[in-house]
Amino acid sequence: MFKLNLKIALRNLWKNKGYTLINIAGLSVGMASCILIFIFIRYQLSYDQHYAKRDRIYRVVSYWKYAAGEEFSKGVPMPLVPAMRNDFAMLDDVAALQRGGGVVKIKDQSGNVRLKTTETTYYVEPQFFKIFDYHWLQGDPQKDLLAPNSVALSEEMAVKFFGDWHKAVGQTFNYNNKTDLKVTAVFADVPENSSNPIKIAIAYSGYVNRNQKNWGSVTDNSECYILLKEGQNVADLEGPKAAFIKKYYVEPGTGKADHFFQPLADVHKDPHYGNFSRKTTAMKEIWGLAIIGIFLMLTACINFVNLATAQAVSRSKEVGVRKVMGSRRRELMLQFLTETITLTVLALLIACVITEATLPGLAGLFKEKLSFSLIQQPVILIFMICLVVFVGFLAGFYPAMVMSGLSPALAIKNKVNVGNTGGGALRKILVVVQFAITIILITGTLVVLKQMKFMREKPLGFNSSAIALPDMPGDSLSILKYDIVKTRILNIPGVLSASFCNSPPSSEDNTFTNFAYAGTKDADFQVNTKSADQDYFKTFGLQMIAGRALSKSDTIKEYVVNETLLKKLNIVHPQEAIGKMIRLGDHNTAPIVGVVRDFNNMTLRESISPILLFSRKSNSQTLAVKMDIRQIPEVMKNIEQIWNSYFPDNVYRSVFMDENINQYYESEQIMGTLFKVFASVIIFIAFIGLFGLISFVATQRTKEMAVRKVLGATTFELVKMLNTSFIMMVFIANLVAWPVAYIFISQWLSRYTYRIDLSIWPFVTAMLISMLVTLLTVSLRSYRAARTNPIDALKYE
Amino acid sequence: MIKLQNIEKYYAAKGLKSYILRHVSTTINQGEFVSIMGPSGAGKSTLLNILGMLEEPTYGTYEFMGEDVTSLNERKRIELYRNHIGFVFQAYHLIDEMTVAENIEAPLLYKKIGSAERRSRVADMLDRFNIVGKKDLFPNQLSGGQQQLVGIARALAAQPSIILADEPTGNLQSAQALQIMDLFKKLNEEENITVIQVTHSEVNAGYGSRILHLLDGVIKEDVNLSESLKP
Repeated sequence: MFKLNLKIALRNLWKNKGYTLINIAGLSVGMASCILIFIFIRYQLSYDQHYAKRDRIYRVVSYWKYAAGEEFSKGVPMPLVPAMRNDFAMLDDVAALQRGGGVVKIKDQSGNVRLKTTETTYYVEPQFFKIFDYHWLQGDPQKDLLAPNSVALSEEMAVKFFGDWHKAVGQTFNYNNKTDLKVTAVFADVPENSSNPIKIAIAYSGYVNRNQKNWGSVTDNSECYILLKEGQNVADLEGPKAAFIKKYYVEPGTGKADHFFQPLADVHKDPHYGNFSRKTTAMKEIWGLAIIGIFLMLTACINFVNLATAQAVSRSKEVGVRKVMGSRRRELMLQFLTETITLTVLALLIACVITEATLPGLAGLFKEKLSFSLIQQPVILIFMICLVVFVGFLAGFYPAMVMSGLSPALAIKNKVNVGNTGGGALRKILVVVQFAITIILITGTLVVLKQMKFMREKPLGFNSSAIALPDMPGDSLSILKYDIVKTRILNIPGVLSASFCNSPPSSEDNTFTNFAYAGTKDADFQVNTKSADQDYFKTFGLQMIAGRALSKSDTIKEYVVNETLLKKLNIVHPQEAIGKMIRLGDHNTAPIVGVVRDFNNMTLRESISPILLFSRKSNSQTLAVKMDIRQIPEVMKNIEQIWNSYFPDNVYRSVFMDENINQYYESEQIMGTLFKVFASVIIFIAFIGLFGLISFVATQRTKEMAVRKVLGATTFELVKMLNTSFIMMVFIANLVAWPVAYIFISQWLSRYTYRIDLSIWPFVTAMLISMLVTLLTVSLRSYRAARTNPIDALKYE
Repeated sequence: MIKLQNIEKYYAAKGLKSYILRHVSTTINQGEFVSIMGPSGAGKSTLLNILGMLEEPTYGTYEFMGEDVTSLNERKRIELYRNHIGFVFQAYHLIDEMTVAENIEAPLLYKKIGSAERRSRVADMLDRFNIVGKKDLFPNQLSGGQQQLVGIARALAAQPSIILADEPTGNLQSAQALQIMDLFKKLNEEENITVIQVTHSEVNAGYGSRILHLLDGVIKEDVNLSESLKP
């Protein structure tokens, strides 16, 4: 029976080639998008899931509540790790993980430097490897990673340094021009989908700051992981935690400090804290993608339902005959469902091809290593089977019910018309839903693109073009060379100005510190501190609105503040602040000499912080070089040459200011691209569906059109007649889509402190686009129908 | 009014020309009642369609009220057609989704006639054909004869100068057929509307003033009844 059904199904699909093509095109594109989204989401959710004890692993993170806001850090104070080990009984293990980085030099047998490279390193306590089960190729971290200056390498690093990981153990290499580290163990590479991409694990006992006792100082580079005892609940840690905080946070700070235990599964998904891999995908984004995927599938299914119920008329005779022959309704439904599933499977095969072809694009967009391998990831196969069954039933069940329910008497006499197959109203509703989804996506795309353009073009309050930012080595010997390096670089033709600073005006790397203004009491908010020399203002084109810029000094001698700081202190006239004393941190008291006009110091998502600028040579390890835009390539070459001649033991690294800023908005760019792609896909699906439907309607109304033509209607009038109902539906779809789109969009825009005003234009444009394409699609097909000779239609009644 | 010269129509299939009409030349004057007769496949309907501008001849010229139809563009042709030609079909071809009144109104909409004028003409037609009581019914609620009445009413509503009827009584019982033929005769005589009908029935042809006998696409005979009947 099934074989027969399948044969008939294939025959029917072949007979109605046009509809089959439309259905397969829509379904396969929709399915391919779904599979891509599934692969991506699965990959995102697979982060850090390859550890045996993953359900018991938590990261300790820090949180501060201030009078004027809050702050998050993935780091913990240095003394927290031993304290927790001591105070919490329900933990199996506590481990510190400290990120660092520096120059690695490998010498060959004759003592010459064979390889010089900058690498990110981690100081790791051996307990870390009890929590995370790494696969060890050689050595045992519990024994071999205890002594200071011992180091474990990943297979990749071992090969990079020594050619073959088998030869690595026992070798040494020089780190940061200071210590010689001895390789004692080698572990298998950490998978890409890992939040801790450790490649060089140095024994924590060699970390210089490990015994620091300050609970008030936290950097993002000091993480702490804990392993809960089996059978324990993380909620039970709350009690001991309260006591713990009370016990250790005795000094009154500006904010109220707290710690949270973040499940390992959230490390990749919580953008508040981030992680060492610098890759986070918020759960919100994952949901957003999933919803888009469901939308896409839904529009493709709607096409199917619409075309199938519309086709029911032409299948009515078959149904009648079958019923007269004694087929039961169930068997008929089974036959129609077989057809749907066959079609869906065909679409799936094409979807696989599309997926395979577009996956590299997606992987490139997200900079992730995604793969589409059914053998390695059987879950994808399961997903696809579910997709086929789901789509087959969602799309096939209703049409099957309608068609199998036709009355045989009417069906045989060919008295079935569009009216009594039902579905007319349903079809209209489905078309409206489909278009509403399309319009929401079009509107969203327009707004995302507009916001991106806005962010690209918004003046930041400083000049960021043609500025290179080479890093300077921070050791005391190198600092002595700073002045001469700057003089040499300024002498390069094409260099307009240069300034030593700790960070450019806008940066993702910000330090916040307590301060006191004109008194002894700390203000109830912190300031963003930037150390910069006297040329900073000229290099970045910052404008003073009162007083003067910083003068030359190697240590803190005076301060420049920004407008926001004055506003927060309720100082109306900038002049008032000049000459007032500021104490930064515990000491460093100096007068304010100038007020700088506000500039954006972070991404445009955040508002401008209160900023304090001062000179401190030892802090200023970045050189900002403003160049003549026409001579950038030569100047860059010269800078590198000079740099290398002064710092031969280090590795030159430089970025452009503009690129830095563009990187802030990487996620927006990805989002923009995704929106563009998916909006096009959905427009494609919706409109081929529309084309199918109008083809059908045109066929159905051939007789009516012929009669009208005989009565004197022109082709134009007939095209207009067919268009009206569709345009009406699309218009209603617009009305449905607008409020929904408005809610989504305004929610998305609210993430940005600096954002476009939501005008009516994206909505109007989306309406025009949808109407225009509808008009085009319908006219294209109905023109052909209206042009046919009425005689052909009326001859054989 | 109508002047056909050397009209030919053929379909080329696999290099072979299959002729429907050959060397058809005739003139039909205003006020004539012409019946086209002949066996199936003789080309009757094709000739009628060419006269009604629904098909184009392969060769030959067709002058309608002094204008060469074959050289007109679509817009002008439709203009001419709208104002002068009314069609009546064997299968009525009413629009199923429209009521009787709406069906009659339809051609007036295409002629861009104002709504007051439309209403009065529709009312006039309903009145004339005694179907006022049925104006809100749908075609499938009417008998065949009634449907054909509506069809004729629809053709007349546009006030054509010529009515083309393709076997108008073919689907009707004889009593209804007679009624329809009487109606045509009355229209022809009282309002001077030219009527051209395709028919198989000698009885129906007897209502007309002239019969064109077609055989294999050629006019075999052109009988003027009014003259031949004269003693």
